[in-house]
Amino acid sequence: MDKLFSSSSSRPANNHRLLIQLSQVVKVYKTAAGDFPALRGITADIYAGEFVGVIGKSGAGKTTLLNMITGADMISSGEVIFNAPDGKNTSIHNLSENSLAVWRGCNVGIIHQSFQLLPMLSLVENIMLPVDFSGNYKRRFSKERAIELLKLVELEDHAYKLPAYISGGQKQRVAIARSLANDPPIIVADEPTGSLDTLTAETIFEIFEKLIEQGRTIIMVTHDNNLSPRFTRRLHIADGIITADSGFHLVSIQEQ
Amino acid sequence: MNDASSAPIIQLRQVVKRFKTAAGEYIGLRGVDVDIMAGQFVAIVGKSGSGKSTMLNMITGIDHPTSGEVLVNGVNIYKITENERSLWRGQNLGIVFQFFQLLPMLTLLENTMLPMDYCNAFSPLERPERAMELLKMVGLQEQAHKLPAAVSSGQQQAAAIARALATDPPIIVADEPTGNLDSRSSEEIIELFNQLVVQGKTIILVTHDPSITKRTTRTLIISDGKIIDETVAKALPLLNHTQMLKVTQLLEYKQMPAGATIIHKGEHIDYFFMIARGEVEVVLQPPKRSELTLAHLGEGEFFGEVELVHGGDSIASVRATPDSPVQLVALHRKDFTEMLVGSPLTEESISRIVQARLAENRAADRRGRWW
Repeated sequence: MDKLFSSSSSRPANNHRLLIQLSQVVKVYKTAAGDFPALRGITADIYAGEFVGVIGKSGAGKTTLLNMITGADMISSGEVIFNAPDGKNTSIHNLSENSLAVWRGCNVGIIHQSFQLLPMLSLVENIMLPVDFSGNYKRRFSKERAIELLKLVELEDHAYKLPAYISGGQKQRVAIARSLANDPPIIVADEPTGSLDTLTAETIFEIFEKLIEQGRTIIMVTHDNNLSPRFTRRLHIADGIITADSGFHLVSIQEQ
Repeated sequence: MNDASSAPIIQLRQVVKRFKTAAGEYIGLRGVDVDIMAGQFVAIVGKSGSGKSTMLNMITGIDHPTSGEVLVNGVNIYKITENERSLWRGQNLGIVFQFFQLLPMLTLLENTMLPMDYCNAFSPLERPERAMELLKMVGLQEQAHKLPAAVSSGQQQAAAIARALATDPPIIVADEPTGNLDSRSSEEIIELFNQLVVQGKTIILVTHDPSITKRTTRTLIISDGKIIDETVAKALPLLNHTQMLKVTQLLEYKQMPAGATIIHKGEHIDYFFMIARGEVEVVLQPPKRSELTLAHLGEGEFFGEVELVHGGDSIASVRATPDSPVQLVALHRKDFTEMLVGSPLTEESISRIVQARLAENRAADRRGRWW
């Protein structure tokens, strides 16, 4: 497994490096009924290796915050700064559209509640597809690597099946494998267990914890407060502001 | 409507699907026969677990039938290899899903280009242009370079429709396409489907949404893995799906040539007749006078109920119109009676119709005598 991720061996599991700085992030949506402030000044530092839970009710601004971190949507004011391992800092909302796509492709894996797998393609094809497609950050990506990724989520035996033949939990594991295709240091997940039963959700958390042990950083949105013990860091948000931040703890999962 | 003589674009023949589960075998489809003609806008409805999505998966080749055949555009899709089917699907079907299934890392434009790349349709240089045209058509020109996460659910579904159209397939298949949208976005998506039907596409969708079934040209109700007879569904809408299915299984099918008499006045009647196709005339033939036409009945209407309810002989003659043959589905007296016992709403509605028809008949009879 170590060989699978080129960077994981050179990436200490707990280097406590500052990874993402959110600085006074504001997002205002213009609607017919007037301006709607979805985020009203979010400031937080996220460190490499954290498992961050963004917890809040529907409409609190959780998904908007994820979109600010991935650069999927434009920021109204404030900054999101990504600190690369080489010490280079990037203010992602100041990048051109193309550079942002390249940055995202190299650094972020995205997981959705509803999996977003193409039902007419086999699991292995689903994993290879986005990498095959984008010219921006193309790198050598073989079927063998796709199978390796499926192995990581324990689905290699199903590689040539269509999504219709596997369960919801298995679909989400495929989506996780796909998000890892470019070996990104950051995984963002929007309610990844939202359509799964508790038992199946558990298998997803086990995979996430494995990824954290490898030194990856995961930022996960949930409305389910019961999940909060699973995170190493909890950002509670309501009405577009952080109401509680458990803070960065030097105690890592491995040391617990 | 369509040319009745042309071959159906989709044919399901005795399609059976069994699933093996930990709890044992489960039957998803129990022998489904359906013909869908090119240009039809078809809704498949039914309760959760009735087999709707399974039926759709049989048409897309996403799942395999246990037995039976599916022909789409002349191709027996389970007689070809998985690879051939993959290519066939890309050329013939555009598929739209409830949860959109857009790739989160790709822009709407890139998502729309995917099927063209995958099926090698259109030249690589044409693809971005075509994708942009399709996004324009669904009103997403401005959003083309955004990621799915940055647009609304309705816009994501519109992009998924653009993607479904990428290879210019003749058939669009959609599974609960408005199931995850607010009513206004749903309305926009339905309008898009309507435009596609006008352009000649065949659309088949599974839905719970009554605002869609109002707009489709045809509704197939599926219950317990079987298709309810469409004439029964139209003629007896107050039955529940289980009752409709029971009636479907008891039907007898009759075809009458143009102008043929189906019932003679005064004859003893043992059947309730529903009109599947064509028209009938209900006529009185007073002795030595020219006949009186009481009514024209068309598809989804019925006759024979007056006699069954009242136990008497036929009060009028019924015959096929002179210009076209008539297809009928008939329910025997004892099954008809049992159905009314099981459905008080249906009984009430039928007895209102009986009262109205008897009144018309008496009025006409009087006129007949005077003239």
